[in-house]
Amino acid sequence: MKATPFSLILLPTLECNAECDYCFESKSNHQLSLDKLSTIIQKVIDYMELNHFEAMSIYWQGGEVMTMSPKWFEQAHGIIQEIATRRNRQVTNYIQSNMLSYSRKWNRVLAEMFGNSVGSSMDFPNLHRKIKGGSPESYERIWSRNVREAKAAGIEVGVISIPNEQTLNMDAERFYSYFVNELGITDFQVNTPFPGGSQNDVKMGFPLETHQISRFLMNLANVWMEHGFHRGVRVGPINQLLDYFVYGKKNLLCIWRDNCINEFVCVDPQGYVAQCDCWVTGYPESRFGNIFDAGSLSDLLRNSEARRRLQTRPGELILKEDCLDCAYLTICHGGCPVRAYTVHGDLFRKDPYCQLYKRLFQNMEAMAANFSRKN
Amino acid sequence: MTQSIVYNIPATMVGAFRRDIVVRFFDPLETLQKLTQYDLKRLAYLQILGTGGDIDSLMRLEHSVPVDLVVQHPELDLPLLYRYSPLIAERPVRVSVRVAAGFSKVVKLALSLNFAVKLEVTQPEPALIEELLQIANLYLHQTTVSQPVEFIHSIFWSFYNRNPVTLWAIQEEDPARFRYITDLGVETLSRRLAGVESKYGVASFIREFAEELLSEKQECCDCAFFENCAGYFKWPRREYRCDGVKALFQTLRAAAEELRADIVSFGTPGQENRP
Repeated sequence: MKATPFSLILLPTLECNAECDYCFESKSNHQLSLDKLSTIIQKVIDYMELNHFEAMSIYWQGGEVMTMSPKWFEQAHGIIQEIATRRNRQVTNYIQSNMLSYSRKWNRVLAEMFGNSVGSSMDFPNLHRKIKGGSPESYERIWSRNVREAKAAGIEVGVISIPNEQTLNMDAERFYSYFVNELGITDFQVNTPFPGGSQNDVKMGFPLETHQISRFLMNLANVWMEHGFHRGVRVGPINQLLDYFVYGKKNLLCIWRDNCINEFVCVDPQGYVAQCDCWVTGYPESRFGNIFDAGSLSDLLRNSEARRRLQTRPGELILKEDCLDCAYLTICHGGCPVRAYTVHGDLFRKDPYCQLYKRLFQNMEAMAANFSRKN
Repeated sequence: MTQSIVYNIPATMVGAFRRDIVVRFFDPLETLQKLTQYDLKRLAYLQILGTGGDIDSLMRLEHSVPVDLVVQHPELDLPLLYRYSPLIAERPVRVSVRVAAGFSKVVKLALSLNFAVKLEVTQPEPALIEELLQIANLYLHQTTVSQPVEFIHSIFWSFYNRNPVTLWAIQEEDPARFRYITDLGVETLSRRLAGVESKYGVASFIREFAEELLSEKQECCDCAFFENCAGYFKWPRREYRCDGVKALFQTLRAAAEELRADIVSFGTPGQENRP
């Protein structure tokens, strides 16, 4: 049996209660029925059996998952457990939610199905996350209230944050303090934005300027090392990179794996299969097929031309770009395909944040050397 | 204790050998479905000749037998290495590459994918010596490299430990330990020496060849690295000039001595307060 679990990004709904400026998804009212969930799980476990996977991680995302009911998730959990137990497989569930619809009604399913943990997202300052028909301020007010309530109920909340132009011009200590000191978040991650999905003025500003974002991230790394490291606060990708350069642990973001197609697959509520949530709704041409129509997930993956293109991408980058000359190839491999595609219109280009990554890697390598000398 | 002999055999001959076998083949799909669990347990490793074969059958192989992926055309095969990257999660994978034009690109990519590397070297010309020196520096100094590059790795540790190991042994070419079975089923000396009509004894090939080189009182006679080389670079052409490979050995020895000195300067753990 394989030591690593099979990873499934499952979108049970494409409905969302927010209207964020940089969303890359095409929203709709499609929701997954429990019957169809059962079919998906059966086919995924067929695939796991064929490929000797003992365990699966399901990453539940939307749309917004909490536009569905806690009861639906309780029933889904029962179905998944029943199938997995019968077929001698283990399943671990993770949930990503904007927390706008969170209430204490969710606590039981969050505890039983998701290990009392939820991933969410918030920016500081919040300029681009908005409630449907509302403002960034109302989004932040509701989100903060709900996150505090969830934390009070013992639920761990991790946060993904997208920097904006005001973030990059602020003191990194203020940014860090907002999440850690004001909200009590001890696990957050800074992601880079990209112009996926339908275009608007905000996306015209992506990718962010390399010098600004690299300076911000390095300042944040210094703040974290001074205030957060010894308290066990995790600030991705900074803490993962320190782990890599000090201990050789390669638990890095999906954008820096040798090829993300070896890591996971995504299924939306209509059964469309694609590499991840960044592709499946916004780029129909990137779909591998439909799991309900295919004889098996193995056949679907094996016969997909879109998947074959993704599979060849890092090898093509070695021939076309300067990746082979880079000292950090082993922790990048040309970066994220969806960032390359949405910026350059070409899958076979390296990630537009290449220069940022290089500076970040160089700085974290130096920080790790300094850390090792002192410890 | 006498070490057993490892046989490199074609996949068609698995049934004829009992254990310590390297099974070589081109197409994993065709071969792996014929191998039983019993066969797999007897293997030292699987040797795949080329990068174009079916990968799914390897991914589904339950036994964690190591894989040696032989890159036969460095420039052409380079991008195909990525196909094999999922294997590393389940089993040790080594990439063997001939030291020929473009080999250093293969080495860099293989290391970035966490594959171990074996350099199939014979008598490298000056341009290839330059590439070998680049790879030695990569292995010695780049912090992101975490896998061995043979023969560089074992020679370096041999210098560090001051315990000579011959290139013939490192490269799995010592006929006393390694034998090659041709596709026609004929047992020969090791792979590099396959087909050679030897005047030396099979088990004593390396010793007799080395003694002969020393008796000729030519380049090997006063070579500082002869204990590690044992004439490896004098086969098949004895007139091959070793200046380039000596520079490589010198680089490795200097790095090993530097490491020894650094470790000594830090002191032996637990003995800091002893007089």
